[in-house]
Amino acid sequence: MKKLFLSFLGTAGLLAFSIPNASAQKLTDPEIAHVAVTANKIDIDYAEIAQKRSRNQDVEKFAKTMASDHKAVIDQAVALVTKLKVTPKDNGVSQKLMTDADKTKKMLESKSGAAFDKAYIDNEVAYHKAVIAAVENLLIAQAQNAELKSLLQKVDPTLKAHLAHAEMIQSNLNGHAK
Amino acid sequence: MQNRTAPRVLGLLLMAALFYHCSSDTPGKRLPGDSSAAPPNPDFVTITIENMKFSPDSIEVKKGQQVVFVNRDMVNHCITEVHTKAWTSGVIPAGGSWMWVASQTSDYYCAIHAVMKGKIIVR
Repeated sequence: MKKLFLSFLGTAGLLAFSIPNASAQKLTDPEIAHVAVTANKIDIDYAEIAQKRSRNQDVEKFAKTMASDHKAVIDQAVALVTKLKVTPKDNGVSQKLMTDADKTKKMLESKSGAAFDKAYIDNEVAYHKAVIAAVENLLIAQAQNAELKSLLQKVDPTLKAHLAHAEMIQSNLNGHAK
Repeated sequence: MQNRTAPRVLGLLLMAALFYHCSSDTPGKRLPGDSSAAPPNPDFVTITIENMKFSPDSIEVKKGQQVVFVNRDMVNHCITEVHTKAWTSGVIPAGGSWMWVASQTSDYYCAIHAVMKGKIIVR
């Protein structure tokens, strides 16, 4: 099967995410649950770095929101898999997310000041675009359990609001405040 | 004797059932925003927060009317007046609600998710 990848490249090619799309992967519900939890944990990790390194009030506040919201999503996912007696299963998509995240975390930890703020927010924009595409085209599309599908559908607008928020801060950082 | 007592017992049971129905249906005890079976209460209007949006996102109310925000999302929200931060709800947890007595026309937003915005027009 031909492998297609959704790639989102940030400035200077520093930010890269590749999430296999629906035509390249077939995931079971335990694997979908694992991808969902992993994707949320990664953004919490990014937020923790931002809360330590940024001195920009908007960026710090956004990072705090990301940590809180993604934890809430994980809590819901854990409650659901516990109820369904499903054990999330590691898989290629989760592993690819983690490999990419390790590179991104190293990149973020090498920056400070305004350069860090820009890198973090650019990453948040790219990451949320990639995750929204994965949730809509891969996870929701392939989820078999109705409650799991419903949870993913409920998460989607939250991710879209995060993306819009990140884009607003990105615009302000680039000097295009509205 | 039996024929005279039975209707009395039945009557008492009916009265008890009616009393229970009325006391449990007191508007103040109903969760604001719970539209199930309840007649519209003119004393308050409900704005639902769901899917990261206010619904309705613009509403007209009378001065002094209670505006109840019900958070049906899985994340926290915080309703704050936009221009002067004249009023704020503080954090409304997932599944929680908060009431504001309409005193002035206000643009508001979620101070946690700044892209979520709404308007209350006070007449």
